[in-house]
Amino acid sequence: MSSPAVSLPRRSRSSLATRLRIAGGILVSVIFLFPIYWMILTSFKDQVDIFTTPPKFFFTPTLAAYVEYMKRADIVNRLVNTIIVAAGAGLLSIVVGTMAGYALARVRLRGAATFGVVILLSRGVPPIALAVPMFLVARKLGLIDKHITLILAYSTFLIPYVMWLMRSFFMSLPRELEESAMIDGCSRYGAFFKIIVPISLPGLLSTLIFSMILAWEELLFALVLTSRHASTIPVAIAGIAGDTVNGANWAALTAVGTITVIPVVVFALLVQKWLIKGLAEGATKG
Amino acid sequence: MGTVQIRDVRKSYGALEVLHGVSIDIEDGEFVALVGPSGCGKSTLLRMIAGLEDITGGDILIGDRVVNDVAPKDRDIAMVFQNYALYPHKNVRDNMGFALRQRRVSRSEIQRRVDDAARILGLEPLLDRKPRQLSGGQRQRVAMGRAIVRDPNVFLFDEPLSNLDAKLRVQMRSEIKELHQRLKTTTVYVTHDQIEAMTLADRVVVMNSGIIEQVGSPLELYDHPASLFVAAFIGSPPMNFLEGDFLDATTFALADGTRLRLPTADPKGRQRATIGIRPEHFTIAETGWPATVSVVEPTGSETQITCRLAGKVIRVLIRGRTATRPGETIHLAVAPDLVHFFDAAPVPAVAEMEDVA
Repeated sequence: MSSPAVSLPRRSRSSLATRLRIAGGILVSVIFLFPIYWMILTSFKDQVDIFTTPPKFFFTPTLAAYVEYMKRADIVNRLVNTIIVAAGAGLLSIVVGTMAGYALARVRLRGAATFGVVILLSRGVPPIALAVPMFLVARKLGLIDKHITLILAYSTFLIPYVMWLMRSFFMSLPRELEESAMIDGCSRYGAFFKIIVPISLPGLLSTLIFSMILAWEELLFALVLTSRHASTIPVAIAGIAGDTVNGANWAALTAVGTITVIPVVVFALLVQKWLIKGLAEGATKG
Repeated sequence: MGTVQIRDVRKSYGALEVLHGVSIDIEDGEFVALVGPSGCGKSTLLRMIAGLEDITGGDILIGDRVVNDVAPKDRDIAMVFQNYALYPHKNVRDNMGFALRQRRVSRSEIQRRVDDAARILGLEPLLDRKPRQLSGGQRQRVAMGRAIVRDPNVFLFDEPLSNLDAKLRVQMRSEIKELHQRLKTTTVYVTHDQIEAMTLADRVVVMNSGIIEQVGSPLELYDHPASLFVAAFIGSPPMNFLEGDFLDATTFALADGTRLRLPTADPKGRQRATIGIRPEHFTIAETGWPATVSVVEPTGSETQITCRLAGKVIRVLIRGRTATRPGETIHLAVAPDLVHFFDAAPVPAVAEMEDVA
């Protein structure tokens, strides 16, 4: 609707512009995708093929790194842990953060704006400064090496993030939607859950995806707060990369990296269709 | 009972009072328009009736019940918003049935009432569409449909036609009027457009800066404006105003010394006054106030003449056509009972912003 119609006399010019745009798009994609391509390529190489100069693009692929590390680093268990923690932290943050964001956007409260800014500013503290206090608290509560501990720890930075994203989304919705619902027989909670949440689903979903990815790849808190039982994939990768005894096993490192990326890609592809469909609904215009 | 009583209602935001004690009695079945320039408090008052704004002082009664602390959902009102506020994720049928579903009305009853409303408003072919698939006028109709399926005590309209183009606005205006004549539901209608207020309402409440200037039937306001503000606000094209001094009962001297003979004396005998004459009340005569024609605008049924009298712009509206040309001098006359007298004061800016929207 908003894209201007291409008029005939301008066709040659705009087709050149289109080509340039496509070329630019390809360039950017290559820059972003090459490291991932290289990682996947490396994961199928034999240790001797990895450090050749010039690098080898053609070689006999091997699954050795996958097979070996599946056993050694307890990858399946870590994968399950990562899924539990990412899903748990993502869902908890989306529920709490969305409601907080709605309150900040709509409810007239004295000092609400200040409150919101303070929550955001708390994110200015470097995570490393929080890691040790968090470890001490977790140990006192007997929560070391538990899923719930990571879920709560991740929520401390995900909730402000969700809250601020959803707050601006809610502010872009016309107030009259809730007012109309409240006149139609809803309480404020009813208006929120029956009208605002369904309309916000596309925004909620993309925020949820980003939150889960942030939790998925988090290393520092996972390193500090877990040891064996609840340890996640990034911790395993860090372990391989920082293996001072045997030296970094690059094939193993990239194999685990590839395994880490696959669920994210599959998940994104699964929700993408739905996400675009949701966006096409044109939620905000009554 | 669909009466609405507004008793000395006040509204403050912090230290800023925006409504300074407003009282209106609205009878069952009456159509009342709240009209005034933006910022006059008309929408705030409507939102207070709806329960969307707290009441700082005074009482609002719907029926016999004080509703100051009653939630919007329990006031048995329906409201049509300027931007319609249709639920974008629900189709037309579910939009219209939503309020009934909240009230746990049976499925078959909802179906019947939605179908009835859709038939009245000509929405039957659109029931399965989403709001984004509707034109502006159709959305407006759905918003009204959503209100009428409720069969509420009171309808509240907040500038419902402002988002429509001029032609559609006129059409929807008569549809709203027809709907009211059919349903006879008490209606409070907020607009900044005095023509909308005049054509729709049984009674018009003219508001300005948080107070009521005048309440009356459309023709009462037109014939007997109680203040300069109402005189300037009601009528299109707006009333002409001249400020000056009375030399004797009927001799009126303007600032530049021009003397005008008035057909009648000021009943209040002021020394200094602002007189007002509507454009359509002037006649072109053999003798009278001399004015130089600057623009002639024929529309077929009538002709608007803009002229200058002692340097002041005067608009004259005459029935039919005229041979008058720009540059000519015409003589203006007015009947005695059509001259309005007010305390001398600058003319409110509303007269100038006529029909901007």
